Amino acid sequence: MLMATCLSDVFFADMAKATVEVLESVGCEVIFPEDQTCCGQPAFNSGDFPAAEKVSRYTADVFAGDLPVIVPSGSCAAMHFHGTQLLFEDKQDTGEVESLAGRTWELFDFLVNGLGVKKWEGELNKRIALHHSCHTRGTDTGAAMETLLGSISGIELVKVGTPEQCCGFGGTFSVTFPHLSGEIGQVKLESVLEQSPDLLVSADMSCLMHMGGLAEKQNMDIETRHAVQVLRDVSLASQ
Amino acid sequence: MSKSSQPIDDFARELSRETRDAVLSSVVTRTAGRKAKLEADYKDPDLLRRLAGKVKQHTVEHLDEYLEQAEAALTKNGAKVHFASTAESARETILEILRNKGATRMVKSKSMVTEEIHLNDFLEKQGVECVETDLGEFIIQIDGDTPSHIVQPIIHKNRRQVAESFEKHGLGAYNDDPQTITHRARKHLREKYLQSDAGMTGANFVSAESGRIVIVTNEGNARFGMAANGLHIALVGIEKVVPRDKDLGLFLNLLGRSATAQQLTVYTQFINGPRSKSQPSGPKEMHVVFLDNGRSKVLASKERDILRCIRCGACLNVCPVYRQTSGHGYRAVYGGPVGAVLSPLLAGDDFPKYADLPKASSLCGACHEVCPVNIPIPELLLRLRSRANKEGIKSAGAPPMAPFARMATSPKLWQTAMTASRAMNHLPITMMPIQPLQAWLKIRTLPKWRGGEFRKWMKERGGVNSGGRNE
Amino acid sequence: MSEARDTVMRAVRQALSDLQEKTPLPEYDSEILICAKYREGEVGGWLEFGENFAAVSGRPLTEVGELLVFLKEEGNDSGYCDPSLKERVGTVLEESGLKVHYEYEHDKVDDYTFGITRASGVIAESGTVVLNDEDTVDRLAALAPWVHVAVIENEPIFETIPEAIENLGDSSNVIWVTGPSKTADIEGILIEGVHGPGVQICLKLD
Ligand code: SF4
Repeated sequence: MLMATCLSDVFFADMAKATVEVLESVGCEVIFPEDQTCCGQPAFNSGDFPAAEKVSRYTADVFAGDLPVIVPSGSCAAMHFHGTQLLFEDKQDTGEVESLAGRTWELFDFLVNGLGVKKWEGELNKRIALHHSCHTRGTDTGAAMETLLGSISGIELVKVGTPEQCCGFGGTFSVTFPHLSGEIGQVKLESVLEQSPDLLVSADMSCLMHMGGLAEKQNMDIETRHAVQVLRDVSLASQ
Repeated sequence: MSKSSQPIDDFARELSRETRDAVLSSVVTRTAGRKAKLEADYKDPDLLRRLAGKVKQHTVEHLDEYLEQAEAALTKNGAKVHFASTAESARETILEILRNKGATRMVKSKSMVTEEIHLNDFLEKQGVECVETDLGEFIIQIDGDTPSHIVQPIIHKNRRQVAESFEKHGLGAYNDDPQTITHRARKHLREKYLQSDAGMTGANFVSAESGRIVIVTNEGNARFGMAANGLHIALVGIEKVVPRDKDLGLFLNLLGRSATAQQLTVYTQFINGPRSKSQPSGPKEMHVVFLDNGRSKVLASKERDILRCIRCGACLNVCPVYRQTSGHGYRAVYGGPVGAVLSPLLAGDDFPKYADLPKASSLCGACHEVCPVNIPIPELLLRLRSRANKEGIKSAGAPPMAPFARMATSPKLWQTAMTASRAMNHLPITMMPIQPLQAWLKIRTLPKWRGGEFRKWMKERGGVNSGGRNE
Repeated sequence: MSEARDTVMRAVRQALSDLQEKTPLPEYDSEILICAKYREGEVGGWLEFGENFAAVSGRPLTEVGELLVFLKEEGNDSGYCDPSLKERVGTVLEESGLKVHYEYEHDKVDDYTFGITRASGVIAESGTVVLNDEDTVDRLAALAPWVHVAVIENEPIFETIPEAIENLGDSSNVIWVTGPSKTADIEGILIEGVHGPGVQICLKLD
């Protein structure tokens, strides 16, 4: 089952489509439960645990069953498997939430470690800077993304300085602390641009939205793309 | 103007570029150094972090037993052990020790816990001269400033500023060569050491097994502060205890590398009693004051993990928010991620005063990743946010979550909203309804709204079902 | 005083009283603390110490002659020496024209440009000199002069930090010195010789 994320709902239709196409191309059947909304992270991060609990339970209900749930965002996936542990620590009746946590995969982790896809056919002659989203710390997403993109011939992956640094988005953080968020993003953006890549790629759309938005405002020349879009485009080109 | 009313955001906006850049460049270097050193020296540094985290967690969860052990060991060796439950009682205890010896000139080595109880001001008022001897702290003292980092107190100053204040305070004509500045401080402080009648320190660790107090400095100032006078007073947070001498090895190896990319800090002192007959020199009296000052309250909370902290500063160095604010943005003695957790907790009933700090984080998790005692700082920040929410403490500029939750649990409302948002494409941004969004858009653009597009596409392919919901 | 003690201890016990599950004290082999560089080097002993001591700007020496040359070159013409080292070190320096004092006078602290005192051992893994108060004639002698010379004769060479911890012994005051006194407080620039020695020498006599 696919959890497309709320950002795909409003902004990133193409990324969501690419996710479906990529999953199908490796033999998956993709089901999109229509009633899905959001993982509940905005409320959770704001400290409004009761509101987050409602959304989280609702989502667990929408995704009930035993199919793996694939999320093209490390941050929403982490909400399912890390966030809920804290959110539900003293709560009863957590079966569905726990079940969802156990079945949730971040997309690239799923492709590489779940399905065993280690090589992606195709060619793309571009310098790509990778941004590792903070919520994929401690999971295998970063390495998985590097494996797959690195296997595409012609792609040159460039290292960005201070890879541990956040893009500054942080969801509601960017709204409540606009200056901090912007400056953090700026520092990150500069370290990306230092490498003069053709493309800035991440497995999390929200980081890209933030950095892309900052860059566009300053007329900086940097194209952003979700890693799954790169996979899809490469496949299309080689057909 | 879209002035955010979050104090730390405002602070960062008003901080001079010069200061921001001084902080930024220093911590970037420190972060890289820490990582390189740990990775060069250990196959799996994470193993040590996790182990140290467990040892310290065990210790704080058995703090009563270990405190008693440490007390007994120290007493047996002839040290005098005191307890203080508040800052005030600690100040009084220290004053009394000094009075009993007629001591009026004290030299101090760097100690965050003495900052915490505002010891200097108090003692000065009582007629005791307190001289900070750590170079950075000395500069802070002559400037009437406060430290902006727990390891590098003057991270927010450059050499020019330091040279100016040396000139102003009669420590020689303007000269901004760090070597010269250091040399002048050496000369000035040397006299203070030799004239002193008491030496004050904190402690990095206390072994419960032997009572050994471990104090580390690179400058050698703690040692000097105990070389020429007869009285040593150590003010120690109760959470500084570790079970065994063996564990000191674990923590020292992690502290040096995490704080300053060193295998060991230059001067590492192990002290568990005053000078004995067989020692030719050193203070004849040693007093240890164990300070609670809110720590037992932290211990009772679910945020007790923060008491594992060994004050290495690594989380400050790596924190993207700290990098934009310096420690001063946190309005309390402890800044950065550790401060964002500790300050609201130590504030006790004043929790609301600092309840904004845990929110000032993108929850990126870099702090957790570098912490030598593996403290899950983001989780603790979330717990404190939840507490603030429960206590009904307002957070400036934060969008309310109830409408969101209502929408996100109703598929109909959600889908309508997502499709309707398309209308925004036609609005000039200045007309956007939500004020915070305008601030956002001042420096960033938003992508084109594509509400509902993906759902439509997916439906056409026939991949949509109603999921597991049974309504 | 005991009242304050009771208050603190009661608060701590109270705080822990509701805690159901407590973390056990993990057992571990201190082996895991040993630096990879040391393990791979397989040199050990004085040589290993020397290498690591030099890496932290220390100067390992094995001959009094070398010490003499160094002191003269740097213009350190008057200093202090532990009287128990007079025969083996002090007189050699005196014969070459250096002024050596055997009694440490506190009001002359700044007149001694070097201080020669006994160390209680060294740690090879980290390039550390171990000083016990029992063996140090005067704390200031090992701290105030620009050059500190720590002398070992038959004192132990601990291989690793854990080994040195195990052998902290009975002294109520042990200090480990890993290089000269230093600071990076101003703009992160490294300056040696803040309060203590700017030069740290370890002299091993057979
Ligand atoms: S919280 Fe961890 S990283 Fe931060 S100062 Fe304390 S020990 Fe160091």
